[in-house]
Amino acid sequence: MTTPTAKLEFQHLTKRFGDLVALQDISATIADGEFVSIVGPSGCGKTTLLRIIAGLERATEGRALLAGREISGVGYERGFVFQSDSLLPWRTVLSNVLIGIEIREGRRPEADVQRARELIQMVGLGGFENYYPRQLSGGMRQRANLARALAINPEILLMDEPFSALDAQTREVMQSELTRIWQQGRKTVLFITHQIDEAVFLSDRVIVLARRPGRVREVVDVDLPRPRALAVKRTPGAIAYVDHIWRLIEREVIESVEEEKRR
Amino acid sequence: MGTGQDQRDASRTLSAISVVSGFALWELVGRYMGTGLFLAVPTQIAAATVELWRRGELLNHITVSFSEFGLGYVIAVLLGVPIGLLLAVSSRARATLGPWVDGLYATPVIAIAPLVILWFGIGIWSKVFVVASVVIFPMIINTEAGVRSTPQHLLEAIRCFGASRMQLFVKVMLPSALPFVFAGMRLGIGRGLIGVVVGELFGARAGLGRLIAESAETFNMANLFVGVIFLAAAGILLTALVRRIEQRIVHWT
Repeated sequence: MTTPTAKLEFQHLTKRFGDLVALQDISATIADGEFVSIVGPSGCGKTTLLRIIAGLERATEGRALLAGREISGVGYERGFVFQSDSLLPWRTVLSNVLIGIEIREGRRPEADVQRARELIQMVGLGGFENYYPRQLSGGMRQRANLARALAINPEILLMDEPFSALDAQTREVMQSELTRIWQQGRKTVLFITHQIDEAVFLSDRVIVLARRPGRVREVVDVDLPRPRALAVKRTPGAIAYVDHIWRLIEREVIESVEEEKRR
Repeated sequence: MGTGQDQRDASRTLSAISVVSGFALWELVGRYMGTGLFLAVPTQIAAATVELWRRGELLNHITVSFSEFGLGYVIAVLLGVPIGLLLAVSSRARATLGPWVDGLYATPVIAIAPLVILWFGIGIWSKVFVVASVVIFPMIINTEAGVRSTPQHLLEAIRCFGASRMQLFVKVMLPSALPFVFAGMRLGIGRGLIGVVVGELFGARAGLGRLIAESAETFNMANLFVGVIFLAAAGILLTALVRRIEQRIVHWT
């Protein structure tokens, strides 16, 4: 059933926490080398979905396949970039980037150290190899996080709202940096965000989730030429996509905001 | 950089002025309020220090007290850190040892110091025991708290890289607990020095606490204050030493 090019596949994934249905019958396929985003209002199960892919959480029904193998636990073949700053404060940038290698190999092979240096160079942190996280800005830390995730050469890169803690301008810069970096390696990426314009700008496809229960509302193919510069965001084509997606979730977003007010 | 250095110089100058004025005030009050029987002024203490040093007694007291403190302190750190780690990672260990730790922490070991002298004799080992038993608790409790306060998002992030429990422990929990361990070590200095003195009050052949006790009995206030001042100085120096090591090792805080 699995097509040979599918990197990540969800087959009728359902997750229940007691009576609460967090995810209901999610099916989707992410092809090798594809950049796919997931957007949705809060409460749509984005985080739960990501935790299942991470292997931190088991699906109640259905399964998730990575390169044809069912996910049953945490593993080296998934590279994570988290929302919060998760660099180890006692390690330098280089040492943080190497943590995945250390965990997998139990040591630091010279070839990997060399590769880590190249990655640090690639994410734009050349010269900061020996800096500690507290000496870096928020944007630089997320660059380091990205290099750390890429260092283990994962099958797929999983990014959980990686730019949400950054200020608006830094976020724009990081978005264009991410497309530049992605363009070089064409790693398969699953990107979770609640910024619709960010999802459109970065992705080949956007999976729009609905809430309560979390389910796929629509999968939007983003047919914008690559490589993309930030100016693409202001083209009528991109704006039309953003508009379309916003209309899909508008009512639910307002609902979720109202609910939070009542709480 | 320049301003940081200037600030440090300024606060150092302030500390020096504070100490010198404090001693000056002490000298004046002692000299002119006429409480000579129960107080010695700094000049008398200085004279007594020289005299005790000349007779070789002071060095002997310092050596004995320092050995008691040093041995007890090192034993407490070497035992307390692993016990704290064990309590943090194993719920079975927590259940087994927890009540003992909490109970003994609340027990004033100082109060049973006379018993300790009976068990271990009046040589240094009774005092080593007292010091170790008062220093070990802040070590255990701080180490445990340090491991427990490891940020959850760091643990989860590193777990996502496929880290085993052992790897999480070594690469995340242990470094994360280090600042707490050092805080425990700094707390332990004060407690340990008190332990030395109290232990020696109840029975010792030599030591700064013994010097204090002996001098009190003979109303030799100058000698008594020599003991007190050397203990205070030891507290300041040892704390500064631990702090320096801490800054070297826990440089990221």
